[in-house]
Amino acid sequence: MSVWNYVVTAHKPTNVTHSCVGNFTGPQELNLIVAKCTRIEIHLLTAQGLQPMLDVPIYGRIATLELFRPHGETQDLLFIATERYKFCVLQWDAEAAEVITRAMGDVSDRIGRPTDNGQIGIIDPDCRLIGLHLYDGLFKVIPFDNKGQLKEAFNIRLEELQVLDIKFLYGCPKPTIVVLYQDNKDARHVKSYEVVLKDKDFLEASLSQNNLDNGADLLIPVPQPLCGVLIIGEETIVYVNASTFKAIPIRPSITRAYGRVDADGSRYLLGDHNGLLHLLVITHDKEKVTGLKIELLGETSIASTISYLDNAVVYVGSSYGDSQLVKLNLQPDAKGSYVEVVERYVNLGPIVDFCVVDLERQGQGQVVTCSGAYKDGSLRIVRNGIGINEQASVELQGIKGMWSLRSSTDDPFDTFLVVSFISETRILAMNIEDELEETEIEGFCPQVQTLFCHDAVYNQLVQVTSSSVRLVSSISREMLDEWHAQSGFSINVATANLTQVLVATGGGHLVYLEIGDRKLTEVKHAQLEFDISCLDINPIGENPNYSHLAAVGMWTDISVRIFSLPDLNLITKEHLGGEIIPRSVLLCSFEGISYLLCALGDGHLLNFLLSMNTGELTDRKKVSLGTQPITLRTFTSKNTTHVFAASDRPTVIYSSNKKLLYSNVNLKEVSHMCPFNTAAFPDSLAIAKEGELTIGTIDDIQKLHIRSIPLGEHARRICHQEQSRTFAICSLKYNPSSTEDSEMHFIRLLDDQTFDFISTYPLDQYEYGCSILSCSFSDDSNVYYCVGTAYVMPEENEPTKGRILVFIVEDGKLQLIAEKETKGAVYSLNAFNGKLLAAINQKIQLYKWMLRDDGSRELQSECGHHGHILALYVQTRGDFIVVGDLMKSISLLIYKHEEGAIEERARDYNANWMSAVEILDDDIYLGAENNFNLFTVRKNSDGATDEERGRLEVVGEYHLGEFVNRFRHGSLVMRLPDSDVGQIPTVIFGTVNGVIGVIASLPSDQYVFLDKLQTNLRRVIKGVGGLSHEQWRSFYNEKKTVDAKNFLDGDLIESFLDLSRSKMDEIAKAMSVPAEELMKRVEELTRLH
Amino acid sequence: MWKGIGKRESGELRPSLFCSRIRSSRAASLQLSNHKEIVSAHRGSVNSLQVDLTEGRYLLSGGADASVAVYDIQNSTHCEEGGRVAKHKSIFVIDKQHEHGHKYAISSTIWYPIDTGLFVTGSYDHYINVWDTNTTQVVMNFKTPGKVYRIAMSSLATSHMLIAAGTEDVQVRLCDIASGAFAHTLSGHRDGVMSVEWSTSSEWVLLTGGSDGAIRFWDIRRAGCFSVLDQSNSQLGRRPPFLENSALNKASTSKASAAGQSSSVKARALQRRAANGNGSKQSTIGRVRNQVKGSMKHRLHPGLLSSQDRATAHYGAVIGLKMTGDGMYLLSAGSDSRLRLWDIESGCNTLVNFETVRLQTSKPLQLSLTQDSALVFVPCMATAKAFDVWSGKTRLTLRGHYENVNCCWFNAQDQELFTGGNDRQILVWSPPNLITDDVDALSRKGQAALDEDNWSD
Repeated sequence: MSVWNYVVTAHKPTNVTHSCVGNFTGPQELNLIVAKCTRIEIHLLTAQGLQPMLDVPIYGRIATLELFRPHGETQDLLFIATERYKFCVLQWDAEAAEVITRAMGDVSDRIGRPTDNGQIGIIDPDCRLIGLHLYDGLFKVIPFDNKGQLKEAFNIRLEELQVLDIKFLYGCPKPTIVVLYQDNKDARHVKSYEVVLKDKDFLEASLSQNNLDNGADLLIPVPQPLCGVLIIGEETIVYVNASTFKAIPIRPSITRAYGRVDADGSRYLLGDHNGLLHLLVITHDKEKVTGLKIELLGETSIASTISYLDNAVVYVGSSYGDSQLVKLNLQPDAKGSYVEVVERYVNLGPIVDFCVVDLERQGQGQVVTCSGAYKDGSLRIVRNGIGINEQASVELQGIKGMWSLRSSTDDPFDTFLVVSFISETRILAMNIEDELEETEIEGFCPQVQTLFCHDAVYNQLVQVTSSSVRLVSSISREMLDEWHAQSGFSINVATANLTQVLVATGGGHLVYLEIGDRKLTEVKHAQLEFDISCLDINPIGENPNYSHLAAVGMWTDISVRIFSLPDLNLITKEHLGGEIIPRSVLLCSFEGISYLLCALGDGHLLNFLLSMNTGELTDRKKVSLGTQPITLRTFTSKNTTHVFAASDRPTVIYSSNKKLLYSNVNLKEVSHMCPFNTAAFPDSLAIAKEGELTIGTIDDIQKLHIRSIPLGEHARRICHQEQSRTFAICSLKYNPSSTEDSEMHFIRLLDDQTFDFISTYPLDQYEYGCSILSCSFSDDSNVYYCVGTAYVMPEENEPTKGRILVFIVEDGKLQLIAEKETKGAVYSLNAFNGKLLAAINQKIQLYKWMLRDDGSRELQSECGHHGHILALYVQTRGDFIVVGDLMKSISLLIYKHEEGAIEERARDYNANWMSAVEILDDDIYLGAENNFNLFTVRKNSDGATDEERGRLEVVGEYHLGEFVNRFRHGSLVMRLPDSDVGQIPTVIFGTVNGVIGVIASLPSDQYVFLDKLQTNLRRVIKGVGGLSHEQWRSFYNEKKTVDAKNFLDGDLIESFLDLSRSKMDEIAKAMSVPAEELMKRVEELTRLH
Repeated sequence: MWKGIGKRESGELRPSLFCSRIRSSRAASLQLSNHKEIVSAHRGSVNSLQVDLTEGRYLLSGGADASVAVYDIQNSTHCEEGGRVAKHKSIFVIDKQHEHGHKYAISSTIWYPIDTGLFVTGSYDHYINVWDTNTTQVVMNFKTPGKVYRIAMSSLATSHMLIAAGTEDVQVRLCDIASGAFAHTLSGHRDGVMSVEWSTSSEWVLLTGGSDGAIRFWDIRRAGCFSVLDQSNSQLGRRPPFLENSALNKASTSKASAAGQSSSVKARALQRRAANGNGSKQSTIGRVRNQVKGSMKHRLHPGLLSSQDRATAHYGAVIGLKMTGDGMYLLSAGSDSRLRLWDIESGCNTLVNFETVRLQTSKPLQLSLTQDSALVFVPCMATAKAFDVWSGKTRLTLRGHYENVNCCWFNAQDQELFTGGNDRQILVWSPPNLITDDVDALSRKGQAALDEDNWSD
């Protein structure tokens, strides 16, 4: 049963909804604060660019984000209001480097209707009050007292019901708002009111302007000394103050965002719906405005917010494309643009559709999304784990070890690659043609297996075999010195660095050698009670050539020990517990923190914090990476050190925010890895896997990898066809140049490797692609693309005509095989029992695929089902059909084979306006609805009465806070059959804000356990701004608010891993479960995404 | 539609705006339903209609033949005309033959606001009956001194279960389901009370309209009425400054929401709070004002100045009341054939000129509003009209009844309007269903078969 669900974010929201600039973290520090719907990010502006300082979730959808500075403060405070009527004022605590809540509250009212045009929150420039427009006809005022504290809020009746924008005017003795509104006759006007705090009422003020541009939508208050307000329309821009009126015509455009350039308010940046950036200048003679000028600067992403930072650098936040940091140049470039894009920030939103595919056929899903809108439309390939870009590979069986060596100590690049086999050692080197060829190092012993190799100081190389340690000149390649193991005791394991060698021989002997010029010196010998399984002396102290510590893993007592060098004194002994011996130990340091990593034979990895001074091991953590023994190796990519764990599930270990993170590598099984940084292939890795040696480079080290395929048009639907290895998309291209807003719609075929358009089928005028499906029919072996369309006539409210087109891919071309006219828009298509199930307006229609006498094929309608308002989202399973209606929640239909009819079986009688549905299992269906909630319903087959059986029972409810456009079964991670997580079914969802999330259906006992953990975490982790997590996740719509049930917030649960040890212990105590155990279980869950 | 869905998908259109646009365009396109019919069970005029507030599924109707019936408006009982028209027969009818049935005409029927387990009927036989829906038995009744014209329960209430009853008598009675007794009698009207309506912003505020032409506001925790609407107190354009009409501004004094609640209600109240979570919120604009003008209140309350107490809202009886969902405006219908829109906060007549021609005067009328309060549906003789609330313009004239229409109920969930008239019919007005039948005869047969199988209720 999929009743108990765990919701977690795999990719955070990236849609930038608000941004502002100010001195938030310090009086001298300039900050950019960016809101991404449910998160805020605080950046610091430095000479090097934007430096992220903080990224925190907000328990609410941010409706207002404003910086302000009360009297007497030296730095700004941040005001945030959420769509669920909570507000908070945040302040930066420089010492703790975190935000603290200065004030918070609830501004909801019983009275009044929530505004349709969105909530408005504004702060008086002189900081006398905060104004909120949340309900039609009401203006809420939160006054400040003279100490800058907030007083009790009150409402003032606002006559204007259809408010488009409200702003505070500058330079007014009493706080004064200017209101842009629409009247009963759809005309737009501007009015202003003084807020009389004493009477708690408005007094009409002098500034007003009637009958504005019909598209007037935005007010920009102009600061002192000019004062007044700019009214931005679609065809004109107007400046008004008490005495002056200036207007200029503009090219028709919808202005989406503005940013003020100068403090005196004489220049503004305006971003329009086509992504064009204009500069608006108010020309003035001292304090008298003489006119307006507008100039096109260039093109950016379609802006949702513009913040002018400093020195002509501007942040352009976007909802439809990547956000950008742009520089405004004084001189235009060759194309006449003054805009230069300095940096781009990936934005997946809005994800209108996506599909889950396994292009590399590795058993790991990738998500291909239709992202962005208008000209910024793109496909994004989102994949978990780190990819290896293969550059060369050779077939080589039985590799037992690999090391890269340099031809001289100070050569920045590697030359040799030593590959060890069971009874020989071969040496490969890059030749002049940048090819890898076999070579020889005379001083090395090639007839035996090499245990370890390393570069050494003084242009020397070290080779360790089972019998000896050889020191070889890297220039003459001759042997300079050799150290022999005591006879009868062969060397089992060895390790080395530039100046030191540590070997372990049978019988528990540990021998420490130092490398001199042409000389190996045995410095110390120690006898341990057991045999040694692994060693490491990677230098992580101050001296990069010399280590003061040695890590040793032991057989028999299963321990890891730290010895001091050179005297080989035992400092620390840590028993690992269990029966699995350590197979690889590694001393390493990330972000200035030293760790000891210890990999076990069963695929587990332990990590400890290592004190460099005392050698003490603390903060033990255990994770499971795979099932086979792991070999650990460090490597460097982009000047940062990472650790590669080679096993059946290769993993890269890295650190971010002083926390160790594990990221899968998209390779099946790796036995050995070594960095191989050559001049021809810089930053490459040599990887031994399944009888093959591969040289390749590694992607950026991060968890999710996103590749962008810009389309220049808006992709609306996508689907993949395995057989033809293609994607098909429904897309539309806007043509901004023509006067009418003309659109062209296409069906495009893309190659699934190159993502090139390989074929295009243009749709008719006014014809929109609504749905797409790859399917086959009974009695026909071909695989087809089926496309559902709608003719959207300008004069019609609802489409009354559409088509179903059936294509086959032949020679990389889309060939139309059949077409069927429908009496409405084809909102959804599904393959169903070898037939085609279409949702056409309010009807579900089943088509069969018939062979005509002339051998051609056609779609023939078989049966249908009425009874929906609009059947927008349809999913099928067996003979069951689950329909998500425009406004009538979920209903369950069944196809009866004998009668050839579709009947309604059950329905959810709640009035949910659906945005997506999915079938979790035979009985449980998942829905997402218009108010950003998720819910599950259960089919009640065992009900006693027809009434009970005919009702889908709501079993789970949860406020996601995201608008879900699509659910798909699948997973972003490789599923290992043996791990617990591998058995958990998951559904992926994509949202308007660019979130990719995972819903995992947990077993009941795990749910109960995690629910308890969540409850405990709520007590310990407090929401930013004092917002309550429990309230945030409660199911919320116009009719009701109820506590979340049968859904867990994975983001909260996984934040357990970010807690300090003491807080973890606190929770562990409350749960009566050891912290280790908790950590293990939570870490398991992070593997779901 | 497809464009709107596309814009919602890409985040260009706010989901709430998407909903309200579709709702209002559907409400504006109402016509006699081409796919849904209610088979009226009444043999007298239909006086009252209500769809339950929980699921929007069960329609309750009361008729002049003393019968009350319930219909499932979501699931049809059978279909006609080749499966295109779904017929909805009553699930059950209670008429005079029933052992507890009313003797005379039923004037008002309402669902218990929290679930469909109970409903209440008021009749000209002086009785108010509370029924158990599942057993169709009377679980409680109240005898009033005269014909019952209108009953109402508050859908917001979390701490009381009162039925407000307007009867022939001058006193308004509050019948407490929790105790089975009259909780209060509200005295002030000088004639029978044709309409009662609970406030949509405070569970304590009741509005009544009498045959004396007065509309009175009551705070049921206090004695006496605190406000009487005066049709001559009007406002054109901007509202006058607040001070001048503060005396009328006592709507919803809701300082201590816990005060005055009897302990027997408490257990039930908790349940209710769970049922509609946001119901407990009581802040209104009135409150802030009252704190400021506290002294005024004491001087005038209870028992207003006699001149104010004599004020009338209509020339003739007030026959219908409806408060907007946002709690800011009140619509009233009078036997003077006027419809008035009142600003509740100021008590002003907004002087919106509704293009009513004539209203039926003998009976209370049941008005209905769309969810966004943009349209009001008013029975106007043999038609039902939809007026734009803000301009008073006629938006729709719904002709279908052969005799006078008595009641309207707009089901906001599906944007469907139900009207009942003296012709004993219950008509369904819905946005047109586009007939998408490219279905051949074969599948139509399948459709018919399907509907037979649905014969379950």
